[in-house]
Amino acid sequence: MLPAIGEFALWISLPITLWGAVMAFLGGRWGRGDLVLSAERSVYAVFALLAVASAGIIAAFLTDRFDFWYVSNYSSRNLETYFKVSGLWAGQRGSLLFWALNLGFFSALAVWLNRKKNRDLMPWVSGVLLLVIAFFIGITLFITPPFERLPFTPQDGRGLNPQLQNYWMTIHPPTLYLGFTAFTIPFAFAIASLLSGRLDARWIEVTRKWILTSWFFLTLGIVFGMRWAYEELGWGGYWFWDPVENASLLPWIVATAFLHSVMIQESRGMLKIWNMALVCLTFIMTIFATFLTRSGLIESVHSFALSLEIAYAFLGFMGVTFAISAILILWRLPQLRSDRQFESFLSRESAFLLNNLVLLGAGFAVLWGTMFPLITEGITGSKVSVGPPFFNQVNIPIGLMLLALMGIGPVIAWRRASARNLKKNFLIPTAVGIGTGVVLWVMGVRHLYALLTFAIGVFVLWIIAVEFWKGTRARARIEGENLAIAFTHLVKRNRRRWGGYIVHVGVVVMFMGFAGAAFDREVRQSMVPGESVSITSAFGHTYTLTYEGLSTARAQNMWQWIALMRVERDGQPLGTMTTERRFYEAPPQPMTEVGIRSTAFEDLYVILSTLDEQVGMGNDPQFQRATFQVMVNPLVPWIWYGGLIIAIGTLIAMWPGGPVPQQRAGSTGATPGRRDDEKGPGDPGIGAGADGDRSSAEPARTPVGAAP
Amino acid sequence: MTFILGIVLATLVVFFILHPLVSGRSAPMDRSEEELTEAQHRKRIALFALRDVEYDYHAGKLDEDDYRKMKREIASEALEALAEEEQEWAARQGREAAEAEKRAATNGRVATIAGDSAVEDEIRALRSSLKEGLICRECGHPNPVGSRFCSACGSALAASPPAAPSGSPAGGSS
Amino acid sequence: MNRDRRFFAGLVGVAAIVTWLIWTGITDTMVYYLTPTELLERMEDGAEQSERMQRGVKVSGDVLPGSLVAHTDELKHQFVVVDPDNRDVQLIVHFRHPLPDTFTDEAEVVMEGRYLGDGIFEATEVLTKCGSRYEALPEDMDDRDAGYGAEDPYAGYGDGDSYAGYGEVYPDAGYGAGELYVEATGEDAYARNGGI
Repeated sequence: MLPAIGEFALWISLPITLWGAVMAFLGGRWGRGDLVLSAERSVYAVFALLAVASAGIIAAFLTDRFDFWYVSNYSSRNLETYFKVSGLWAGQRGSLLFWALNLGFFSALAVWLNRKKNRDLMPWVSGVLLLVIAFFIGITLFITPPFERLPFTPQDGRGLNPQLQNYWMTIHPPTLYLGFTAFTIPFAFAIASLLSGRLDARWIEVTRKWILTSWFFLTLGIVFGMRWAYEELGWGGYWFWDPVENASLLPWIVATAFLHSVMIQESRGMLKIWNMALVCLTFIMTIFATFLTRSGLIESVHSFALSLEIAYAFLGFMGVTFAISAILILWRLPQLRSDRQFESFLSRESAFLLNNLVLLGAGFAVLWGTMFPLITEGITGSKVSVGPPFFNQVNIPIGLMLLALMGIGPVIAWRRASARNLKKNFLIPTAVGIGTGVVLWVMGVRHLYALLTFAIGVFVLWIIAVEFWKGTRARARIEGENLAIAFTHLVKRNRRRWGGYIVHVGVVVMFMGFAGAAFDREVRQSMVPGESVSITSAFGHTYTLTYEGLSTARAQNMWQWIALMRVERDGQPLGTMTTERRFYEAPPQPMTEVGIRSTAFEDLYVILSTLDEQVGMGNDPQFQRATFQVMVNPLVPWIWYGGLIIAIGTLIAMWPGGPVPQQRAGSTGATPGRRDDEKGPGDPGIGAGADGDRSSAEPARTPVGAAP
Repeated sequence: MTFILGIVLATLVVFFILHPLVSGRSAPMDRSEEELTEAQHRKRIALFALRDVEYDYHAGKLDEDDYRKMKREIASEALEALAEEEQEWAARQGREAAEAEKRAATNGRVATIAGDSAVEDEIRALRSSLKEGLICRECGHPNPVGSRFCSACGSALAASPPAAPSGSPAGGSS
Repeated sequence: MNRDRRFFAGLVGVAAIVTWLIWTGITDTMVYYLTPTELLERMEDGAEQSERMQRGVKVSGDVLPGSLVAHTDELKHQFVVVDPDNRDVQLIVHFRHPLPDTFTDEAEVVMEGRYLGDGIFEATEVLTKCGSRYEALPEDMDDRDAGYGAEDPYAGYGDGDSYAGYGEVYPDAGYGAGELYVEATGEDAYARNGGI
């Protein structure tokens, strides 16, 4: 019953979105609050209806309704329950509905959070959001209907692809979708600002918060995907520069560029046009990402059938969005112009702009490499392939440039960096960085990119550590707090800056994790129980794995052959590990479960590649012969640690609250809406806007020392 | 049964979204009083920027000339925003006072007037101080009549020009 | 003006570096993607392999059922790949790594490697697509791609074809998409779904 109601809910959600969009635009145009209220209620209603529709799909999975085409293709009776639930996003049809659901959620959230704020923008925001939702519902209903029926009811479904039967299936897609869909909200605000002409400070503030939230989920989603690939695909790798992976990177890159250039707009009032364009571009990139994945246009390992209808629909949508954004920006160009200029090449504004250019350069390289085969085929007719070698060759140098900028940016002076400023802030970190490189060289590291990554990484970490140290110490001195408390307060009072620094630390750690791939070791051996294999890691540890034997187990929908390995490191016993070969029933497919043993510095990675043809014939050791691949992957754990640090840094930066600097001047009483938590020394009063000959007045207001 | 539930769902939804048109209930279209105005936002951003500049200077990332220059720029922006904010506030108080008077006249609610008269007094005092007082030359802060030093930045007011003698409220332009 | 010029110099500089990286990246790493027929044509006149071809080439084709010879302990696999459009054109493939889990006798494969001559192809990488007559269930690395397949689930089926596990299908019997008649065989339950 619920599936049927769900289908019905999906059908009526479409006219509701269209109604809401009309109401929103008319209400905004004519200033009619009742129409706008109707539009906002439509947003809530659509979210509720999409939730009902999604519940309907999930119910169909949970009750084994194989008369639904979608259920019969992605589920089976013996599938675990949580995979049945995740069936909602397992395939094209359901995942489009899932996208719409996420979009509905964020739209409802945006409308609700702004029910008393930004009222001059909200009609347009609601209108844009409803139109985007309408597009996705439309595609779902007319091209890939999730509730399509078979003319009969199969006894059992075909089951879920075994490579998806992993707990990451419940985590990675939802996180990724939250990230992608959330980018629609700042886009809607951007369009609303352009339409209404309110191109002021408020737009930046609300946009920045949303982009940070989306970025948080998208980053997490991508890192989860990497972890999943590493755990499940059994190649010891975590990123393959596959077109679909690249597609998810594009909006991430553009959003990162925006997060940086928006800082310039806030403090120097520049780059308004650029930022507006970046927000629109981020949204278009999310649509492009889902277009690439779903249309099947780019041939990749993921051989889904070409779906021209989906391709055309998304291409059309992207074209329309691009055109509207461009026209609106051009229309408002005069109001967006700023009168300031870049003063010098060696300044923070330049460093930020350079960051943007380099990031977008990387994005362009990824886009080009992904689309190149398609373009070449279209033009010359010959098919070519562009793979990981290209992406690595292009992106590693760019990544190193970005790494360096992360250290230079925070510290270089605004406006004009003098030689003195440069020397004071960069001499020691550069020396330390070069020193690190030299030390590693002496220790035997010869791989150029790895050396550079570590050298530049240490350079950045040093600079950030000094920043934290200076700030904490100054605050401790002034406030009389101990260092720990001073540190906490320091961060609390300027979350954006310090949260951002923490994110940079996470990125450096992650890059070092990537660099570890230069030192991977691998060995392959066929063994019977009792035999062992040894491998020495780049750090000098020797691991010895002894094959103890093979055991069998049966789970709900698969057979398992589990190999038990006893592990020793440098002669010290460490316990056991297992690696498995699984044979799924529906659909029938073998799979390998790797064994991973992580320490802080490296991963021991074991793959059971092949079993003897006669496995299971008896307990004779000969029947238990198996081929193992054993790898040691140095520094891979740092990728996950880096991801965690990035997440923490982002949360700190996003966290609401935090003090507004107190304004001291004037007898104006009510300044409503201001939250003044703490007020401490170092807050500049308005009156301190004086200058030069004021130096005697300064100390009274702003005590010496870096108390931010 | 399912059919009935479907109809009920559809009816509820349609009712929910059409209700405002029928009843005339309206979503707020104007800025609420709690929300920051554009001027307050600009002031807020300017204050943040000022704080960052202070920090950068004290951390040695900004040399003295640039520091003063930037500080002056941002401070003047902040003052503009602040002055605008004061205008808005005064205007709003004026509006509220006028409305309260109207209400009092029609309903005879003395209590309201009493509460508002305190506010009214403050407004009058502010206006007169602005009218007859002095604008600080250094920082642009309006000071009440009779002040010798600016209450915001501390500089001497003696040499400052008098405020505009016209009857306009808040002559505060820096 | 001086400042603007410096700014544009920087912009052009970055653009130039990135363009150069992309250009050399493409020319250094790009490989041709050929069918077996095209590969043999290029190699036919005994001409010297171009430098690009020596670097590697990507070939796609169908695995010939029954051709797989595996030597487990040495991890040396050998199988035959035919051109799907011309099944007389065949390549003998040597592959020294574990085969992907989705590799079956009927799989479509995409291989990267080098052509050694005499019909022998040394593959360094083998990836499978699921070329069977099912709704394409790809082996995949990204959950979001799982199960993307033909919009018409019965595409490619003729009357009387067995639709994996469901019974026999009769797509040509005049039923439109979504209305295909599937006759259950054996003990399959055959239920009409009625109403909502």
